[in-house]
Amino acid sequence: MSGRSQQVALAEGLARQGHIQPAVEACYQALRIDDADPLIHCLLAHLMLEGDFYDEAIEAATRAIEIDPDCSPAYLALGLAYDRRGGMWDQSILVWHELAEVVPDLVTAHVQLGEAFSAAAFDEEAIDAWRKALELDPHEARAMYNLAIAALRKEGVATALPGFRKAGELDPSQDDFFFSLAGICDDGTPAPDPDDVAEDRESRLEAAGALAFEEDFFSAVEVIRWIFDEDHDDADALALSAYLYIKQEAINEAMACSLRALSINKRTRTAIYCLGVTFSKRPGLNEHAARVFGALAKSSPDEPIPHVLHAEALLGLQKFSLAEKAYQTAVRLDPTCVRARFGLAAVFFTKGRHAEAMWEIRRAAYHDTRRQGLFWDLYDSYTEGSS
Amino acid sequence: MPTRDKDARERRDAARAARAAKAKPAPKKKKAAEPPQPPERPVTRVAEPPGKRTASARNPLFPIGVNYYPLQAETQSWDDWYDRVMESDFAAMAESRMSFVRIFISWKLFEPQVGQYSEDAEARLGQIMDAARENKLQLIVTFFADDRLAELLEVPWGKKRDAHTDPYLLQRETSLIQRIVNRYRSDPVIFAWDLGNEAFLSGFETKLQLEAWVDAMREAVREVDPDRPILFSVDPETMFRHTGVDPRNAIDKGEIAVSHATAAYRAYASEGPITSGPSTYLDGFLLHSAARDLPVIMDDIGMLSLDHSVAEESAHVRTVLYTGLMNRASGVLMRRYRDLDTERREPYFRDPFEVLVGLIDIDGEDKPVMSEVEKFARVAAWVDFKEYTLVPERTAVLIPGERYEPLPNLAGLYDPRACLEAYMFAKEAQLPVSVAREEDEFGAFSVLVVPSAFNLTDETWERLASFVQSGGSLIYSYGGGEAHPAVRELFGVEFLGDGGAVESLTCRVAQQDVLGSLEPFDSTLTLPHFALLGHGGGTVVATDSKGNPMLVANQHGQGRAVFISMPVERALAQGDPWAAPTEVKAMMRTVYGAVASAAGCGAQIECDVAEVEIALYNGESDDIVLLLNHSPVAVTANLVFDRAVATISDVRGGAPSQIGAVGLGVALEPNGAASLRVVYA
Repeated sequence: MSGRSQQVALAEGLARQGHIQPAVEACYQALRIDDADPLIHCLLAHLMLEGDFYDEAIEAATRAIEIDPDCSPAYLALGLAYDRRGGMWDQSILVWHELAEVVPDLVTAHVQLGEAFSAAAFDEEAIDAWRKALELDPHEARAMYNLAIAALRKEGVATALPGFRKAGELDPSQDDFFFSLAGICDDGTPAPDPDDVAEDRESRLEAAGALAFEEDFFSAVEVIRWIFDEDHDDADALALSAYLYIKQEAINEAMACSLRALSINKRTRTAIYCLGVTFSKRPGLNEHAARVFGALAKSSPDEPIPHVLHAEALLGLQKFSLAEKAYQTAVRLDPTCVRARFGLAAVFFTKGRHAEAMWEIRRAAYHDTRRQGLFWDLYDSYTEGSS
Repeated sequence: MPTRDKDARERRDAARAARAAKAKPAPKKKKAAEPPQPPERPVTRVAEPPGKRTASARNPLFPIGVNYYPLQAETQSWDDWYDRVMESDFAAMAESRMSFVRIFISWKLFEPQVGQYSEDAEARLGQIMDAARENKLQLIVTFFADDRLAELLEVPWGKKRDAHTDPYLLQRETSLIQRIVNRYRSDPVIFAWDLGNEAFLSGFETKLQLEAWVDAMREAVREVDPDRPILFSVDPETMFRHTGVDPRNAIDKGEIAVSHATAAYRAYASEGPITSGPSTYLDGFLLHSAARDLPVIMDDIGMLSLDHSVAEESAHVRTVLYTGLMNRASGVLMRRYRDLDTERREPYFRDPFEVLVGLIDIDGEDKPVMSEVEKFARVAAWVDFKEYTLVPERTAVLIPGERYEPLPNLAGLYDPRACLEAYMFAKEAQLPVSVAREEDEFGAFSVLVVPSAFNLTDETWERLASFVQSGGSLIYSYGGGEAHPAVRELFGVEFLGDGGAVESLTCRVAQQDVLGSLEPFDSTLTLPHFALLGHGGGTVVATDSKGNPMLVANQHGQGRAVFISMPVERALAQGDPWAAPTEVKAMMRTVYGAVASAAGCGAQIECDVAEVEIALYNGESDDIVLLLNHSPVAVTANLVFDRAVATISDVRGGAPSQIGAVGLGVALEPNGAASLRVVYA
């Protein structure tokens, strides 16, 4: 294949900027010049997918694959279009199989394959696909959520709950929430070297938070220790310690630090969060977790994560209607929250509302795959390979 | 031949026949099914109890029917066309208060060789007619249908010529039609002649081809039978979406129109759970959209896939059936009588045939959906359309003409979704609402809603201006790009340009009560456009956080025009309609409701639950109120009438409850419906 034509480049540029209408027009212009260019059909498929026009996306992606059976971005667009449209699971299974062969390390292909298998009632095959995805990427949260849902459908909430929690831990949004409570955000500045940190409490706390944010837990602990040397009753530092203990799976220590922090200042929201997390990790303490996360949700009503955490605790208590309410709040606050979507699906399954449950899972996949932006990765690899 | 255990099947058929026969010493059964005694009306202070009201077993003005397919199992062959005992099925249909059945002619079986018609096929058709006659059912006979299984159209001598356009085949089609119509032209068992089903009609590549075919076939029927209604089982909106062929002119040549939410259209317009949100309003939207001065039958009501629980199946069917009754359908036709017994082909055994889910299972046992149909039929039988009339829809959602423009114009893809969203807002404001198209006459309406249109023609703008000038109300939401010059005068705004996409929406109310009780809010909603407006004489009712006008109302002539400065309907439809910000939806409902109320066509009955749809049938001495819960959770709808209600009772009878107030609460199950007879004080 020769280099990309000017028309394709124009369409591509517009598509990358998200200008759907002009990009579609550019694609049609490019097709008038050469309607056998898989790239244009592939771009068109992606654009139609962006507009949620699935039949059009399927048509364009199919055409791209007809022209070039190795066009991996077209497979992705086709598979996603089948899945998002629904009701075309057999075709979807074939496409994801194909893509998994063309790009073997594409984790999403396995996750999607599992979801298509599951929707087509091939539960064992679905589980195998998700396990394969986790082998490729142990941090693939959606595969874990799906396995938890599969466990729920087979064996009930009690078996599924640890899976949900584990998936939640893989989901970075919970950590992000802790850091937002702690007032730490990613501003692009790297965390300081512990030796360079100024000797005042504020600087040390900020540095410890930044180090924890960058997952340099040992350095963070070192800085916190200096704070405790000055004042061992620093509630914020205790809460940060609790968080660090949680990350090290030292739940008892984390609980102790959280309780100590709250005994010093009961309004320390980071400590409330850590206490809730420690309760939720201990079997039998769901009721406590529900109370703590309920309080946290009240204190941060516009954040989806505390509502999700609250809902998960309620799910553990089998208070499904209350859990549904909390999940709904989270979804309303952030429709792209995959964790809340899966939680809601779990609640719906327990209530026999299968169609809604399946919809929530599909919606989670929708938002997750949109967020990943895989199309452009595959597109770039494909164009590089072609040239 | 079927591979299933035939003995078992015969036993089942025999059992059903016996059951039907037992039920039939009919006078008894018919007596049982005879109209229940009219409810004893309480003697109220003012209203006289209606006297002679009774319900017949079926409502002749709202027939309920079902598609009766030629084959019951995927393993059957094309020549097994209706080769079974049908009496028991038809008896069961009659028992469920169905009025008509659609059957499908097999051209392949009827005309095995050119010009030679099969006596066996004709005898089988005769048996169907007899069975229907015996059970007081009527038939819709579909001549050219593709059910993807029985090879109905695959005449072996056709030599792969196109049955849609080939002149020789058209001639043979005409002969087939005339032969069958001629035989049954005076037989009352025929309800209507159906020229073709959607699967066949979607094979036309151009509008002209379709119209030419319809002309020829219609002429063929009319030469022999000048009276019986003719229809084409095709929904104008869904067919255009799937094929790009606009069938509206062809449909106008018939006497009955059809609305049909296909699986593909549902996936396009309202993907998502079938028991909540836009999906539950889609059938009503298509029903209004299909109504072109013709009675409309809602076709193919039933499940599209096996993904749903039985409760969800029932909820969906209930919702669609009531939607039909509440939105002027002239009848309803269920998707399929019996589940198709599919051949399992592991591992990919799911295929398009399997989605043909029926009212009874492959063993002939009734499914819960069947009881929904029966229950609904009982309610429908009590609504006497001669005595009660539905409140007219004087609000309409306008589908822009750009919807019919092909790609690369994306308006054709965005507009139907935005229009469905607007239709839903209007329904949630409890407005009687219909659907109109840009080229339609606006005179029948008092309020027009133009949701998120990119472009309207100059002529339409002129017509809209004169509509408002002469007292109409217009709600227009900006769709992006340059605004038409007419906007300035009509809405009293100075268009300063498109402010581009915004990620959040803030509403600050500047003038309370001009457009209802608006609440200020801050919300997260991605809007693709936001019109920047300057003051041009209109009243700024609400602004965004920077003070840009967001809602502007303007008195123009005798009417009122409201400008919404962003494509809210499109944004919500393109986003996640099931997780749409409640405050934004509430704003839209409030605006729609307030404009309609001011125009004198607001909600007839106020209700505090937006998801509850209300239809009011006005009668002489009492009214019938139908309520439908569009949400999957139980609710209590608190209704406020414009005058005091003396009593309410179930429309099917039962003791009236004394009310003596303007307000009352009605508990509705998830996706539940209620039908109330209301007597006023």
